[in-house]
Amino acid sequence: MKKETSNKIKLGIFISIGMMVFIVGIYFIGEGKQLFRKTFRVSGIFKDVGGLQPGNNVRLSGVNVGTVDNIMIVSDTSVRVEILFDETVRKFIMKDAVASIGSEGLIGNKTIIMYPGTGGKKEIENNDIVQTVPPLGVDDFMISLKKTIDNTTNITSDLSKVTENIRSGKGTIGRLLMDQSMDQNFDSTVANLKEGSAGFKILMDKANDIDEILTSLKTTIDNTSSITSNVSKITDSIHSGKGTIGMLLMDSTMRQNIDSTVVNLKKSSAELKTLMEKAKDSWMLWGF
Amino acid sequence: MEPKIKIRSITREKIEEDFLASIFGKFFIEVTSLAFFTMRFFKEVLKPPYEFNELLKQSFLIGYKSFPLVGITGFIIGLVFTIQTRPTLDKFGAVSMLPAMVAVSLIREIGPVITGLIFAGKVGSGIGAELSSMKVTEQIDAMQVSGTNPFKFLVVTRVLAATMMLPLLAVLADAVGLLGSFIGVNLRGSVSASFFFLQVFQSLTFSDLLPAIVKTFFFGFAIGLIGCYKGYCANTGTEGVGKAANSAVVFASLLVFLIDMIAVQITSLYQY
Repeated sequence: MKKETSNKIKLGIFISIGMMVFIVGIYFIGEGKQLFRKTFRVSGIFKDVGGLQPGNNVRLSGVNVGTVDNIMIVSDTSVRVEILFDETVRKFIMKDAVASIGSEGLIGNKTIIMYPGTGGKKEIENNDIVQTVPPLGVDDFMISLKKTIDNTTNITSDLSKVTENIRSGKGTIGRLLMDQSMDQNFDSTVANLKEGSAGFKILMDKANDIDEILTSLKTTIDNTSSITSNVSKITDSIHSGKGTIGMLLMDSTMRQNIDSTVVNLKKSSAELKTLMEKAKDSWMLWGF
Repeated sequence: MEPKIKIRSITREKIEEDFLASIFGKFFIEVTSLAFFTMRFFKEVLKPPYEFNELLKQSFLIGYKSFPLVGITGFIIGLVFTIQTRPTLDKFGAVSMLPAMVAVSLIREIGPVITGLIFAGKVGSGIGAELSSMKVTEQIDAMQVSGTNPFKFLVVTRVLAATMMLPLLAVLADAVGLLGSFIGVNLRGSVSASFFFLQVFQSLTFSDLLPAIVKTFFFGFAIGLIGCYKGYCANTGTEGVGKAANSAVVFASLLVFLIDMIAVQITSLYQY
C-alpha cells in the first residue's frame, strides 16, 4: 500500500513536470509572438509585401518590438498589413512613422522595419495607418546588379584594350613601359638631368654673379621699355597722320596728290619719249 | 509424360493461390479483428465501472518507468543531431541558425517519432508479452469467471495510460533533446543558455508544437491498442507469447510511421 502511494506521488510529480515543461514551452513561444503582452494594432498599406507572412517580426532600431498579425489583399494594387506592437514602444513611434519591408538576412525571413518618425509629433494611436515605403525586392536588386555587372564588363573590356595597347608599346605609357629606345632615352635624360643638376649646382655656387646679371638685365629691360614707349608714340603720330610718314600713310589728300603726281609723271615721261623720237629724226642731231 | 506435367503445373498454381489467399486472408482477418477490438475498446472505455487505480498503476509503469529510456534517447538525439548538422550549416555560413534548425526538427518530427518508436519497443512489447502470457496461462479466463471484466481491467487501462503518457514523454524528450542540443552547440562554440533558448523559442511557432503533441496521442493510442490486441488475441502456448511481443513491436512501430505520415499531410494542409 505504501509502495502504491509512493508510486502515485512519483507519477504525480512526473505528470506535473511534463505539464509544466509543456506550459513553459507554450508561454515562451507565445511570448515571442507577443501573445501574453499588452499590444496595440497599427496598419500599413503596401503595394507589394514581397513574401511577408503573419508572424514575421517587426523591428524598430534593430529590436524586435512586434509581429505581423494579419495580411489582407485590399485591391489589386494594395495589401493591408496589420502589425501588433508591444505597448511599451508606443512612445517611440510617432504619427509620421514609416514602415518598410526588409529581410532578416540573405536567406532569412521577411521583416517589417519601422522608422519611428520625427520627434515632437504625437504618439501613434491604436488602429492608425502608417506611411509605407515600397520594399527593395530581389528582382530590383538583380536588375541593379545586372547594370553594375554590365558596366563592369565594359570597364574590364576597355581595361583589356588599354593593357593590350600598353603591351604592344602603343601610346605614351606603352612606349614608356615597353619601348627599349624610350628606356635608353629615359636613361640619357636622367644622365642629362644629372649633368644639368651638377651644372645648376655650380650655377648656384656662383649665385653672387647673378646679381650683376640681374642688374644688367634690369637696365636692358628699362631701355627696352623706353624704346617701346617711343615706338608707341611714333605709331600714335603715324596713326594721327602727323609727320611725313604719318601723312604718307594716313592723309587722303596726300594720297590724291601722289596719285596725280604719278599720273603727271607718266604723262610727262610719255611726252618726253615722243620728243626724243622726234629729236632723233632731226638733222641737227645726226651723228648722235 | 504429358499428364504428369499437367498435374505438376496445376499443383503449383494451386499452391500459389493458397499461399496468396492465406497471406491476404490472414491480413484481412487481422484487420477486421483489430477493428472489432478497437470498437470494443471505445464501448468499454465509456462504460462504468472505471478502473482508476489500475489506470494510475499502468500510467506509472508505462509513463514514469519509460522516462529514463526516453530521456536518454532524446538527449543523445539532440546532441548527435546538432553535431551532425553543424558541418552542413557551416558550408552555408549559417552556424548561427543551428539552435533554430535543431529546435524545429526536434519538436516537429524527431522528438515525437523517436519517443514513439522507443515507446513501441518498450511498452508495446511489454504489454504484448504480459497479456499474451496471461492469455496462455488462462488468467484472463479466470478473471472473467471471477466476475471482473478483463477487457476493461487489462486493455482499457493500458491503452488509456499509453495514450496519456506518450505526449508527456514526448514533451520531456523534446526538452531533454534541446538540452542535449545546447551541449552539442557548445562543444565547438560558445553560446549562452539564454541566447540558445531565445533562438529556439523565436524559431518555434504553435503550429510546430501543437500538431506534434497531438499526433503523439495517436501514437500512444496505437501502440497501446496494438500491444493489447496482440497479447489479448495471442495463440495458446509459450510460442504465442514471443510472437505476440514481437509482432506488437513491429506492427506498432509501423503504425507510428503511418500515423506520422498522415499527420504531416494533414498539418501541411493549413501550415504555410
